[in-house]
Amino acid sequence: MAMTRREAFKNLAKGSLPLLAAGCVSTALPEVAHAEEEKVAPKGALGLLYDATKCVGCKSCMVACSAANDLKPDTRADGIHQAPPALNYFTKNIIKLYRTADGSDHSYFKQQCMHCVDPGCMNACMFGGLRKDAETGVVWWLGSKCVGCRYCEIACPFHIPAFQWDGFNPKIVKCELCRDHIAKGAKQPGCTEVCPTNAVIYGKREDLLKEAKSRIAANPGKYFEERVYGEHDAGGTQVLYLSRVGFDKIGLPEVGENSIPSGLKYSHMLYKWLALPVALYAGMVAFAGKNFKQHSHHLVEDQKKTGLRPQL
Amino acid sequence: MTRWERSVPVYGVPVLTRGFWALLALIVVGLILTAIREVVGIGGAISGMSDPFAWGLWKTFNVMVLTGLGSGGFAVGIAAWVFNNKKLHSVMRVALLTSCLAYWTGLCMLGVDVGRPWNFYWVVMPWTWNLHSPLLEIAVCMSLYASVPLFLENLPPLFEYIIYEWPQWRGIAEFCEKCMAKVYPFIIGLAYILPIMHQSSLGALMILGGNRVNTLWQTPFLPLIYVWAAGFLGYNCVVLCVLLAKLAWKRDVDPEVLAELNKLTVWIVYSWTAFRFLDIIFRGKIAHLFTDPYALLFWTETALIFGSAYVLSTEKGKKLSTMFMAHAVCALGGMIYRFSPTTLAFHAKDGATYFPSAIELIVSLSFVAIAVLAYLVAVKKLAILPGSNADWLKMAKYEEQVKPGIQLTGYAPVEH
Repeated sequence: MAMTRREAFKNLAKGSLPLLAAGCVSTALPEVAHAEEEKVAPKGALGLLYDATKCVGCKSCMVACSAANDLKPDTRADGIHQAPPALNYFTKNIIKLYRTADGSDHSYFKQQCMHCVDPGCMNACMFGGLRKDAETGVVWWLGSKCVGCRYCEIACPFHIPAFQWDGFNPKIVKCELCRDHIAKGAKQPGCTEVCPTNAVIYGKREDLLKEAKSRIAANPGKYFEERVYGEHDAGGTQVLYLSRVGFDKIGLPEVGENSIPSGLKYSHMLYKWLALPVALYAGMVAFAGKNFKQHSHHLVEDQKKTGLRPQL
Repeated sequence: MTRWERSVPVYGVPVLTRGFWALLALIVVGLILTAIREVVGIGGAISGMSDPFAWGLWKTFNVMVLTGLGSGGFAVGIAAWVFNNKKLHSVMRVALLTSCLAYWTGLCMLGVDVGRPWNFYWVVMPWTWNLHSPLLEIAVCMSLYASVPLFLENLPPLFEYIIYEWPQWRGIAEFCEKCMAKVYPFIIGLAYILPIMHQSSLGALMILGGNRVNTLWQTPFLPLIYVWAAGFLGYNCVVLCVLLAKLAWKRDVDPEVLAELNKLTVWIVYSWTAFRFLDIIFRGKIAHLFTDPYALLFWTETALIFGSAYVLSTEKGKKLSTMFMAHAVCALGGMIYRFSPTTLAFHAKDGATYFPSAIELIVSLSFVAIAVLAYLVAVKKLAILPGSNADWLKMAKYEEQVKPGIQLTGYAPVEH
């Protein structure tokens, strides 16, 4: 049974309707319109500047962090000292030591959320359980929207978000730049408040970037690659690093200048306005409709021959 | 030579076999362990997962691998309905049933795997969706697919069961059947576009993994390669099911349909392999094929998948035992491929490794057992597996003896 052109268009139109409606809904949402824009840090973006050359490894920032965030100190290693092996759901901030095998060179380093300009975790999160403050750019976790899928842990190039592996009501734990602590009246995050050498300082991202660059200019040859890690890395981060030893030695991977979400730009093009899926759907319905008619016809013919009930 | 003309239930064999009870025991143990997991959490004693390796078997195997194996419903369906490959209609019911079971057990497993499943209700509120998230796309499309088009596609065998076995409901079942026939093209259109979307998004998931996924696997085309792999895995699964039916219940096979399935499998595999190599060449990573420590895994995948497809394309592949082995090996290779970006070729933080715990493994297998058990019951109760009209008449004769009063032949034509 051939299909006339008229029928073909009719089928096409019928087939498009349900998904066309879905397409309209999604175009109305603002996110789609801004999908392709390059992300920049918000005007009031807050952050940290950590200078590994100034850090003496006293770990007071870890204690202060636990206190500021009401976290139980992770003393599981020996029952006495707060000595977690890595960031985990007790620990939003950690000081680690890099040392060469022969002990000839070493550097302390601090790890906490980098507060990316275009965060991978936020892009990964299904319902916006991880969100970025529009003013300060702080990336924070909203439990009521989190399904606990742990995709943020896959998508974070810095391995920051930690999942609570115990209990029936697990949480995602990561540095939120003490946004609750500051909302309660503190001037700055726990870690910067107590740092005895000002190895980590708090402020606006642009001021911190200026400060970091002036330190590089004032100390030629001191800093690795004469650059600030986080200015452009992974599309830019609000936490900035200076170091004497290589960044890869102190837990800062070579991630390139593109943000993690930008890897999906081709996929997003395919979904733009849902146009392609809708067109595919309409095409498949048109062909399937034609073939289905033919098939039903055969089924009836077969039944006349065999006397057996046709099967769809 | 047998022709597959219609689906015929497996008859004359008991449903409650020893295998049935063994599977049921595994399921019960798995569900008890699942209950324990819900109380004590996911980590520690329950699973081998950790912060560096946040995804374990439950997601990477039960969802990402097994829904690939359960892709027959759309992979065979597109060939049958969209490209009008008439021979394939005979195996559609097998394809749809395996898809339905793989997807539903996968979705349930996902519910066990996530830490805060009660928050999943946001999925019905589109204004809370993060449209940039590949996982959102999967969550929406997969649950929509499994609960609407795939579910509806699997209803006709149930309607028939009602028509034959419960005559008092026959009128309603026939009415439902008619309604279904009216909207069927719209349903199957949805049943093809949704899996294409979410099977490719399963690949897109790992794009956000960045350079933690080995460069031989990490590519902007990961979604395409992933959905393409689902294509041949679906075919593998369907062929394995009908060949196992021959082995277990001496069901006759239709060599022409098998040849058609093999041909399509071979072409999907060939194009898939070619595309994979082209992708690596154009990304300028060709040296990695020989120097990367993970290249061995890549070549293993390729050898298993491409080698078995090559065997299928030769004269030897027509022998049923060889065909069975080839599809099994091809499926194994495809499953390894789907497993690689998340686990085998995933460079976790500080070289962390992952090995599933015993509990994790048992729970994972028990969810597979649910699908297998449901499959075994379904093919014995419903007309799923393909057979000939003669088979149907034999079955009817047998059933009419066992259940006096049942009428399985001689129906008046039903107009569609």
